[in-house]
Amino acid sequence: MSSRELDMYTARQPAQLADVLERVLDKGIVVAGDIQINLLDIELLTVKIRLLIASADKAREMGIDWWEGDAFLSRRDGENGLEQRLRRLERSAGLEPDDSSEK
Amino acid sequence: MTGHSAEARTADGAGLGWYLYGVLDPAAERNDVAAGPSVDPDHEVMVLVEGRLAALASEVSLDEFNETVLPERLNDPAWLEAKIRAHEQVLEHALDKTAVVPFRFCTVYRSEAELRSFLAEKGQLLEDALASVRGKVERGVKAFADRDALSAGLGTRSDAVREQEQRVEAAQGGRKYMEERRLQQLLDDELARARSDYASSIHARLLEAAEDGVLNPPQSPELSGRDEQMLLNGAYLVPAAAGDFDAAFEALAREYGALGVTLELTGPWPPYNFVPRELGES
Repeated sequence: MSSRELDMYTARQPAQLADVLERVLDKGIVVAGDIQINLLDIELLTVKIRLLIASADKAREMGIDWWEGDAFLSRRDGENGLEQRLRRLERSAGLEPDDSSEK
Repeated sequence: MTGHSAEARTADGAGLGWYLYGVLDPAAERNDVAAGPSVDPDHEVMVLVEGRLAALASEVSLDEFNETVLPERLNDPAWLEAKIRAHEQVLEHALDKTAVVPFRFCTVYRSEAELRSFLAEKGQLLEDALASVRGKVERGVKAFADRDALSAGLGTRSDAVREQEQRVEAAQGGRKYMEERRLQQLLDDELARARSDYASSIHARLLEAAEDGVLNPPQSPELSGRDEQMLLNGAYLVPAAAGDFDAAFEALAREYGALGVTLELTGPWPPYNFVPRELGES
């Protein structure tokens, strides 16, 4: 057996994050009812989270934090969206917004 | 640390809840199956026996695990990875010693009493789920193929490809360009067919050595972290002490390696893919 083949057979640990995510977020028993956490939140976020996690390390290496610009993933950006609407309203009302509200 | 603090709450209703990792046989309690690190490092993993079942669980701060802050936490890659890995490691530690019915991430009860009443209420369904995975674990098998390696491994070409190659040879100018594009398309089709044929044959062979198996969608290169295309992402339920499945995998890895396909074996995993998604009515 070549060393490359050996590598293939022993490539078990540590588990790749994608494989763990795929199972822990997507599989296993789901309980609804008298439970505290609404699992629907997780279901909806799963796809985005997968992409995010898969890319996060690579992205960090490259100094990128693209998820922070994604309205779906970032609460902060949601607020920015609100801020933009507020600025538009302010402009239409003839009130110039303070520059400090821009990021 | 005992279970008695489960009812502890602050005035505004936050406090401690119970995070459920999985369900086990009650006999597992004697086997030192509960081990950290838990999803909330302040609280250790415990086994709560309820009738003919036991819960692998730990207390968690409801300030951290509640529906208001959780969506935000889930968007924090560092938080998510730490908690996901803790969830998995708690289950893997137990899996070394006993059968485990894994629950999905963030199954949290407000109190020990609510967790116990869940176990009592769904007792029969949970016992059935446990019976179906007793003595078994999940293994994962992924197959990857690099385009060039796959193409080289394919060897002899179909008649259609050979005829098209001759047309490319004979054509000139704009016509040649069109014929080349057509040839590329034929080759792509052929590779796609090969990927799909290989995936179904590999899956069929692994199923012969397993008790059950499912195909999950192949992961994108971004997710898998590999440049090659993933053509198979399977999960298989196998006896915990299985040599048959490993032998089948090794034979396939050699065989398909020669065709430009790389196989990867993962696990043993808790049988995430082989427990019911939801529990019906008892």
